[in-house]
Formats: sequence, C-alpha cells, structure tokens
Amino acid sequence: MDLFVIRKKMQFFLFKFDQNFLLLLIALIVGIFSGIAAVGLNSSIAFVSEFVESFHYTWYSFLFPGIGAALSAIFLEKIIREGSGHGVPEVIYSVGKYGGLLRFRSIFSRLVSSTLTIGSGGSAGPEAPVVISGAAIGSNIAKFFSLNERQRITLVGCGAAAAISAIFNAPVAGIIFTLEVILAEWNSVYLVPVAIASVAGTEISIFLKGNQIPFKSSGFSIGFEDVLAAAVLAILTAMVSVLFTRAMEKNHHVAEKTASFFKLPFWLKAGIGGCIVGLIGYFLPDSMGEGYHSVREMISGVYSNGMTMVAICMLAKILTTSITLGWGGSGGIFAPALVIGSFTGVLFFRISSFLFPELHFVSEGCFALLGMSGVMAGVLQAPLTGVFLIVEITGSYEVIVPLIIVSTLSSTLCRYLEPASLYLKELVEKGQLLRPGTDSRVLSDLKISELIEKDCINISPDLLLKDVVSMLKVSKRNFFPVVDKDSMKFIGIVKFDNIRPYLLNPLLYESVFVYQIMDKTIPTIQYREELKDALDLMDKRHLFSIPVLDDKKFLGLLSKATILDQYRRELKVQTSEV
Amino acid sequence: MQTTLFHIFRNTPFGREILLQSLYFCREINAEPILYLPEFVKFLIYFDHEVVQIDLDRSYLKFKDTARENAEAILKNNGFEPRFFVPKNYTASNLPDINSDFDYMTCPRSISDLSSKIGLGFIGSRVRSIVQHAKFPILIPGTVFKQWESVVVFFGGSKNSINALKAGYKTAMESGKPLDIVTFKNCELSIESYKGIIESEGLSHMIDTIRDWRFLRKDKMEEELMNINHDALLVLGAYGHGIVKDVFFGSTMEKIQSIMPNNLLIAGTKL
Repeated sequence: MDLFVIRKKMQFFLFKFDQNFLLLLIALIVGIFSGIAAVGLNSSIAFVSEFVESFHYTWYSFLFPGIGAALSAIFLEKIIREGSGHGVPEVIYSVGKYGGLLRFRSIFSRLVSSTLTIGSGGSAGPEAPVVISGAAIGSNIAKFFSLNERQRITLVGCGAAAAISAIFNAPVAGIIFTLEVILAEWNSVYLVPVAIASVAGTEISIFLKGNQIPFKSSGFSIGFEDVLAAAVLAILTAMVSVLFTRAMEKNHHVAEKTASFFKLPFWLKAGIGGCIVGLIGYFLPDSMGEGYHSVREMISGVYSNGMTMVAICMLAKILTTSITLGWGGSGGIFAPALVIGSFTGVLFFRISSFLFPELHFVSEGCFALLGMSGVMAGVLQAPLTGVFLIVEITGSYEVIVPLIIVSTLSSTLCRYLEPASLYLKELVEKGQLLRPGTDSRVLSDLKISELIEKDCINISPDLLLKDVVSMLKVSKRNFFPVVDKDSMKFIGIVKFDNIRPYLLNPLLYESVFVYQIMDKTIPTIQYREELKDALDLMDKRHLFSIPVLDDKKFLGLLSKATILDQYRRELKVQTSEV
Repeated sequence: MQTTLFHIFRNTPFGREILLQSLYFCREINAEPILYLPEFVKFLIYFDHEVVQIDLDRSYLKFKDTARENAEAILKNNGFEPRFFVPKNYTASNLPDINSDFDYMTCPRSISDLSSKIGLGFIGSRVRSIVQHAKFPILIPGTVFKQWESVVVFFGGSKNSINALKAGYKTAMESGKPLDIVTFKNCELSIESYKGIIESEGLSHMIDTIRDWRFLRKDKMEEELMNINHDALLVLGAYGHGIVKDVFFGSTMEKIQSIMPNNLLIAGTKL
C-alpha cells in the first residue's frame, strides 16, 4: 500500500470525527513530535559539547567554533540547501503570508546545524531552531491531513509551543510565547490546541529527561526597595536589549561586506566568525555556547567574577552571539538573551550595592532572574513571555511582581528605541510583517484579479459627446474607459466630471469627441500587482476607481467600494472560528 | 485575462533552446511568456497547500549581465513583448517567493534533479511536487527545439487523465492542431467504455474533435511508444488512479518521458 492510499484512508478515518476534536488530536501528535525534537536537540548539543570540552585547554581550541560554524553553514547550504540564520522570522512570515506553509526539510535542518554551531562552542541558543522544527512538524502534519489554512496555522503554533515547553520544561511559557510572538493573536481557537501540544511536549521532555527545573532557585523575599530597583533595572535591560539588537544587525552587515570584499565563500565566512568567537571564548569561556552554566551560578549567587568582569562578560556575550549568528552560524537568541540578562541583573545588583550600601536588596540571584526577564522581554518585545518563562524555569513565583515591572518597562522602553523586535525588524523593514486582522494581512489575501469590475461600458475615442450623454442616461456608471476597439488597448477614461461642463450646451454634443475630453493622465495598475500598491496609488492620487490593465490591454476597473466590500468579507474569514 | 506561461530563463545555449520551445508553445496557444531571471539558485513556489523549493544548478546564474538583454532579444525576435517576473517577497534574503498565478509553467528537465542534468530524462521530485500541487499544466520541453504537428493525449480513464484530456483539448483547440488519443490497454475495456467515461464528465463535445484513438499494448510499452509521432505534443495526467494507475502513475510517466523526445504537457491533480 503506498503513502497516498494510507494518507487517504487516514484522512477518511479522521474526518469522521468532529473537526475541533480532530484538531486537538493532531495537536497532541504535533506536541509529541516537537517534544521529541527538542529533547533530541538538547541531547545532541550536550554530546557534541562534551566532546569539544575535552579540548578546551588546548591552544587550538579556538578553532572548534569555527569548524562547527563552517560545517553548519555547509550543511544548511549544500546538503539541506536551506540557508542560514535563526529562522523564527521565517516562521512568522510564513504564518502571516502563506498560512503557515513550511518546508519539510525545516523539520530537521536547523536541529543538525545548530547542534554543530552550539555544540562546538558558538554562542547561540537551541530554542529558535527547535521552534522552527516544531513549527515545521505542525505545518507538514497539517499538509499531510490536507487541513485548511487556519488549522495549519494552529498546528504551526502547536509545534512552536511544544518545542519551547519541552526544551524549558515550561508549558505556560510555551503557550505565551506562541500566542505573543508567533501567532500574535490571543484567540480561544488557538489556545486549547496550543495548550494541549504544550503539555504533550512537556510530558515528553519529563518522560525522556526527568522532571528538571532548568534554573532552580531558592525562595526570595521581595521587599519594596527591590520593586523600585526592578523599575530602574528595566532601564538598563532595555539599553542592553537595544545594544544586543543593534549589534546583531551590525555584525550581519559587517560579515556581508567582508565576505563580499574578500570574496569569501559562505562556509569560510561562518568559519572565520566561529574562530573569532573561539578566540574571545578562550579568554572568556562564559561568553561561549549556550552559557547556561554561568546563569546557574549567578542565580545561585555563587558567580565569582568581579563587577568589571561581569560587565566585560556581558559585552563579550553580546559580541560572540552577534558574530556567531551574523557571520553564518546557526542558532537562536533565546539562550544568549537569558545569559546577557543574568549578567545585566548581577551587574546592576553589584553597582547598586556598591553605591547604596545602606539598602539591602534581596539577592544577586534574584536580580539575575530579573535581568533575564528584562532582556528577554526587551529583545523579543514580548513582556509576558519574559515573565512566565522566568517564573517557570526558576520555579520562583515569589518574584512575579518585580518580574512584571522589569519586563513590561523594558519592553516598552525598547519599543521607543527600536520599533520592532529582533525577530520582526527585518520583516517590518521589508513591509512583510502581516499580523492577523491587520490591514496589510487582509489586503495581502485579496488579489486585484478577483476584484476587477468587468461590467464597464467601454467607449471608443472617436465617439461623439452625444453618444456618451445617451449612455449616461441609461447607465449608473460614472467612469467610461476609452479603449481601442481592435486591440482593447487602454487609451484614457471619461469621468462624469469631464462631461459636466458640456452638458448644458447641446450645441457641443455634435462637435466634441471623446478623445478631446478624456483623461489620459489617469494612472493605471497591472492586475498582477499587489492590492496594497493599488490602494496606495489611489490614496495618493485621490482616486475612487483605477483602470486595471494586462500589459496595455484594459481589463476593468478597480473601485474602493468593491475593495471595501471584499475587505470586510476577508476580515470576517480571517477572524472567524476554525 | 491573457494566458501566461512562466519560464525560468537560463542564459546558455541550452537555456535559449528551451526558451524557444516555450515561445513556440506560447505562440501556438496564444499565451504570453513571463520570464524569470533568477538571482539566486534557490526559490520557493507557494501553492495553496504546499511550498516547493526549487534548487537550480549554477548554470542558471551564468552570464547574468547579458541575461536580460539576450532574453529580450529572443522574445522580440519571436514577436513577444518582453515581460519579466520580479519577485517582491522573500522568505529569506536569498530565497525569493514565486507566486503560482500562472496558466502554464515550463519545467526544463534540468530543474528536476541531479540525474536529469546528464540527460537521463528522469522527472525528479521537484517537478513531481510542482505537478502535484499546481493548478496549471507543466510544459516539459524536449532537449532540442521541435515544432509539434498534433496533440496526443494519453488517456486511461482516471480523473487525472480526464485533466490531461481537458488540457490537451484546450491546447488543440487553441493551436488548431489535431487531437489524438492513445490508451495503453491493460484490461478489456472497449473504446465505447472510455467514451462513456468522457461523456459522464460532461465532455462529450471533446469526443467529436478526436482525430485518432489508438490502443497500444501495455506489456510492450517501450516498443509501442515508438509508434507515436515524435512531432506531437504529448499530454499526460500526472498521477493516475484505478485502471490507469499502472499506466500513467510514477515510473510509467517517467518512462514515457525518458523514451520520448517529444515536448510533454503534464496535467496535475489540482487542475
């Protein structure tokens, strides 16, 4: 029995169930597979790291991140042929533009490439790759069952949520991250399947790895001065977040320019970046890899480096992460953001304690948590993710009030300085951020070819005014396209306003021709162009209707009334239940 | 709206040969070619339920400086107004998106997969995937430019061979070429039974336009294929079901493609 027949039989069997129940069932499957992917990635990174660690004190250890990054780039470009980068924007773009269609190869491509990059010492996190993998699992399972677009988007969200849940053992954070960052829609339709997938992912992780809280912390007793300090810390975390975002961007440009100037092949570019990271990491090991070891020390309050070294490590981590990812390595920014955040929190604590020794802040570990939350919320511009992730991965519910303060303030301040998060920056710049229910998203789903009014009354340029007037009497139209009879080539348009000056003078009816009164300057639009461009043009020129052409051939008119009508229908579809 | 054919241009002698075949096809069916001059070796085609990544070989990026000029010259010489597809959206910075709003697409064998580069004529997974999800037929040109004098539809009675018949009929009507049908017989169905299948689809008017209906032996397929005119456009259904499954599905389709030097038009399931 071939795959096609199996699929058809499964579809028949499954669709006998209620549609919503079916979606929940598939969400569970997606959650399980995404959980396995997350655990697999974690284990493989640990395996490679362990191997590389044994060479840590050799003089050539700086080469390992370079080799890892180069192999990672070769794997992505030559073997899987996917292209490097962290890829979460790709998932967001796909959800907005193409209903969550993702390639099958994305299920495993980033898992392997990020294992090579991170395992060898590159500064990046495994979370984004596993989000891509989970999202691709959801997308491809949806394709397998021929689900509709909205169901597919839900499953993409399920995969992403399960991946985050599994990797951090944090189901709520997985749900919040998905709804806040990936889907950007707080809709009950998504909530239940995403929650089921999150729980499935977490349970798989617990089953395979045991019930571990990644950064277990002791109980903190939060005082009023800590709450105030959290508000001040938010300013610092916002500045660090912006610095991190800009460093990522800058390094990407530097890498591109360097590669172009020296005509470097892609793998050499990634390799050079990795070696630079290796050199920095040789002197500052805390700036390499995931960096969770130093986070644990900071949360426990046993991080031994002094204040200056903490500041240097924070800056080094920003630099190594931006070099790793900017120069062609593979991985995400989740883990680095947590590490940078914890350095920021510890630095803030030490400076505050030094300047105000009379104030007794709760502890260095607590501020490390607050810093993590602030930088995470700032970089992702996702305050709730920042709060709930830290609560879950540390098991410290008692710090929720300062966490909320630092996350929300940091996120808000970042928005002033950087209008879009690191994930969305490029999409916003290209005008490709299509969030559900937004104007751009609705317009992107409408095509000019679907909105053309074809029942126009075309007139010839050699027609007399009297003929046009007689048409006016029986027509409800205000626009008369002037078209060449033989070639259907568009020549101009006669608007009611063009005729008005002659209407009360019947003597002119027999002497004025259409070509004398028509508007030849009216802009036109090609039917293949995007509706948004057509609307922009209509707004700019204050037009109510615009002629639509196929090359030079007249196809019909596009009017704002028709657009509005279809716009409302599309909006209803996009915001409807599954 | 003008019928359009999407063509990925390659600025090499072989690529220009393929373009000539696309242009000939366009001229015959009164379609307009829309050329894509690739900037990158990869691009994505988004269909309603699938995204297909096409990996071109490096030859597609050769002589980029003269590609537009050469393409324009060929188009103009063949009486076409040059029109180029410029991607507006990118999934990644080096991964442009190609929309699927075309009526036909040319898939030279070189974009199929590695084996096709050495001329084995294997329809690779990429083309197969495009065929499976496209709402338009796929033109797979032969290796050298050849005019076609008739349209031959491989018809076995399945839903997809009905699609092939529709595509073949449309092509024959628009080009004014005669329409022939070929059926590989693997059971004792009579010609009347096959006509009944066509009539049940409400396509009885097509039966009257068929010039010749030949039945060939399936067990001697390779030899029988040699009896088909080499100057015909062959129209195939991509994925068959039921009685035609054995005839046109998978490797059989590839066999036809690898044996026959003709231009092929493949009608997919979503047509």
